[in-house]
Amino acid sequence: MRELGRELGRDYDGREPLLVAPLKASFVFVADLSRALRIPHGLDFLELASYAAGADRGGHARVRLLKDLDTEIAGRHVVIVEDVVDTGLTLNYLCKTLALRAPASLAAVTLLDRPYRRLVEDLPVRYVGFTVPDELFVGYGFDLDERYRNLPDLHVLES
Amino acid sequence: MQVTLETPDFQAYRGQEPPRFANRAELECAKVLDYYGVPWQYEPTTFVLEEDEDGRVVEAFKPDFYLPEQDLYVEVTVMKQSLVTRKNRKLRKLRERYPDVRVKLFYKRDIERLAERYRLELAS
Repeated sequence: MRELGRELGRDYDGREPLLVAPLKASFVFVADLSRALRIPHGLDFLELASYAAGADRGGHARVRLLKDLDTEIAGRHVVIVEDVVDTGLTLNYLCKTLALRAPASLAAVTLLDRPYRRLVEDLPVRYVGFTVPDELFVGYGFDLDERYRNLPDLHVLES
Repeated sequence: MQVTLETPDFQAYRGQEPPRFANRAELECAKVLDYYGVPWQYEPTTFVLEEDEDGRVVEAFKPDFYLPEQDLYVEVTVMKQSLVTRKNRKLRKLRERYPDVRVKLFYKRDIERLAERYRLELAS
């Protein structure tokens, strides 16, 4: 975390970035990252309707924002703080959506990365905590049916 | 073998004819791509892998999906890992013959991971 904080601090010094965290899994990560980032920065959150939630509604809907940002991002340096990037579908949607609002720059930091699962390659993932094998994780914000988010560390879930 | 599956009103589908999926896993993958607004086509290209001395096609490969914005072909297989040798071999031949074509194989395990993440209905 300190390394990521240092990298971000070096790259964004004097630019007061806005950390944007999609809920819910990244809430622990963004809290730690914010505390490790020793330059002035803002924080905001958004939430996307999950595919599963859309399917539960019975329709074949498109992804949408359940909670939008409270902050105007035009001209801001935006850093999306992801828990994990694998296919890249979610991050791709977020980047396209936020890019329409004319931020000064748009980048992403992810705690976990599974680049071998990528379907969308052209993503601004500039900072990666750990490249991980194809395992399921719980704890540190990651859940299994909404449980275990509170565990202080990441745990590999044995199937 | 083609099976009868629902045909949702896809919005990011960029093909001409309605897609006819071979199995539930393909359908669910299409629905996820569509949900996230990633343009996709279904089996748009057949790649010739081998011809006989008379130029007749003896082996070909038709990946399941093409994502035009990514210029990426995706093949979905629900076979067990131990049974995908033939498909891996085809993929290797495709990469040898068409080195500029980007193709990714999604194995059963990858589909299961997608299913866990997106709660897909893979059983049919």
